[in-house]
Amino acid sequence: MSQESLKENPILAAENIQKAFGDNKVLKGVSLSVARGEVVTLIGASGSGKSTFLRCLNLLEMPQHGALAIGRHRFAFGEGQCGPDRAQLALLRRDVGMVFQHFNLFPHMSVLDNVIEGPVQVKNMAKAEAREFGRDLLAKVGLADKADSFPGKLSGGQKQRVAIARALAMKPDVMLFDEVTSALDPELVSEVLAVIRNLVSEGMTMILVTHEMAFAADVSTRVGFMSEGVMAEIGAAADVIGRPQNPRLAAFLSRFHRAAV
Amino acid sequence: MYAWDFAALKPYWGLIWQGLGVTVFYTVITVIAGLAIGLAAGILRTTAPRWVTIPLRGYIEVFRCTPLLVQLVWVYYALPVLIGVDMSAATACFLTLSLYAGSFYAEIFRGGIEAIDRGQWEAGQAIGMQQSKIFRRIILPQAVQVMIPALINQTIMQLKNTSLVSTVAVGDLLYQGSVITAASYRPLEVYTTIAVLYFVVLFPLTLVADQLEQRMGAHR
Repeated sequence: MSQESLKENPILAAENIQKAFGDNKVLKGVSLSVARGEVVTLIGASGSGKSTFLRCLNLLEMPQHGALAIGRHRFAFGEGQCGPDRAQLALLRRDVGMVFQHFNLFPHMSVLDNVIEGPVQVKNMAKAEAREFGRDLLAKVGLADKADSFPGKLSGGQKQRVAIARALAMKPDVMLFDEVTSALDPELVSEVLAVIRNLVSEGMTMILVTHEMAFAADVSTRVGFMSEGVMAEIGAAADVIGRPQNPRLAAFLSRFHRAAV
Repeated sequence: MYAWDFAALKPYWGLIWQGLGVTVFYTVITVIAGLAIGLAAGILRTTAPRWVTIPLRGYIEVFRCTPLLVQLVWVYYALPVLIGVDMSAATACFLTLSLYAGSFYAEIFRGGIEAIDRGQWEAGQAIGMQQSKIFRRIILPQAVQVMIPALINQTIMQLKNTSLVSTVAVGDLLYQGSVITAASYRPLEVYTTIAVLYFVVLFPLTLVADQLEQRMGAHR
C-alpha cells in the first residue's frame, strides 16, 4: 500500500497551521496528514516549533491560522472564525491522548486514581469498572504493583509509564508524545521506549517529538524534520534520517552523530 | 515585690467567660465570612477578566494596607454618616473583621492557586476535563495543602485581632478586662489572666495546624 493511498482517509489532518507568540512566529504554516496506524516522529533543533506544533494538535496551543481535522472533530482558525468553545475542546481531547515531558501526574492522587480520573470524571465510567480497567492498563505498562502508590514515590521512568497509562485510559484515536524521555535519567529511557514500542506494535496512531534518533528511525512510518517553524522535510525514516536532502537537516543529524560517539 | 492576688478576680469570672465567648464568637463568624470572601476573591483574581480583578485588587490592598483599628473606627463612625445608615457596633465589627480577613485570605488563596504548576492544568485538559472540574479536583486540593499553614496563621491572627472590637465597646475578652480592672483595681491580675486565656485558646490551634500539615503532606 502506498503512502498516498494511506493518507486518502487521514485520521488527522493539520493544514497550514500558524502560531506566533507576540512577534515571534513559531509556526509559519505547517501541514501534516496522518493515516490510522501511522507513527510519525518530529525531529528538529529546540525552537524549531515541533513541540508547539504537537501542542496545536490537541489545541493546548490555539493556532492563529489554519485548519485541523482529527476523527470527527473539525476546526478552522483565523479571521472570521469564532474558534472552538470549551465543550468542543474537551470533546477533541477525549480522543487525543498526550504525554508530557514532565509527566504532570496528579501528586495528590494514587497511581490508580491518576489513571482512572479521565474515565470516571470525563466518561462517567462506573468506579469499580474503571478500577479494573485501570489495573489492566497499569499491568500493560508493567506497574501492576504500583496501583496504590503515590507518584512522589516513583522513579521518572515509572512516572512516565503511569502518564502513558493515564492517556491510554481515554482510549484515544491518536497519541501525542512530547519529548517524553527528555527529562529522564539515561538508564530509565529504555523502559519508557519499550512501552511506546509495544503500542506501536498494537497499531496505535501516534505522533512523537523526540531526540531519540535511533528509536525514531526504528519505529516511525515517517519522520518529519522541522526547522524555523516549517516542515523542512518529511518522508520515510530511512530517507530522512539515512539520506537527508536538506542541508539544515544534514547539519542537525551530524551534530547528533557526533554527540553519540 | 508585688503581691499577686488572683482571688480578687473571683466575683468577675462570669464576665471573663462572657468576654471569651464573645471573642470566640467573633472569630468564628468572621473567619467563616472571611474565608468565603477570600475564596471567591482569590479565585476571581486568578481567572476573571481585568474589569473584575482591578476593583478586587483595590479592595484587597485597601484592607491590607490600612490598620485594622483605623478601618474599624472608620466603618463605625464615618461610614454611617456617608451612607446615612445607622450601624450597631456589632455589625460594624462583623463587617470590618470579615472584609479584613477576606483580603488576607484572598491573597493566600490566589498565591496557592498560582503556585500550582501549569502542567497540572494541561494534564487535566489533555484527558478532556472541563476547566471547572480541573480546578475543583486537581488544582484546589493541591493548593489547599500549600495554603494550610498560611490559613491557620491568618486565623490565629484573626482571633487576636478581635481584641480591637473593645475600642468600639463590644464586650469581648479585652473589653471585659478593662471593665473589671476599673472595678477591681487589679490590672496585673486581670491582664495576666486575659493573656493566659488567649494563649490557652490559641496554642492548641497551632498544634492542630502542625498535625494537619504533616498528615496532608504525608504522601509527598
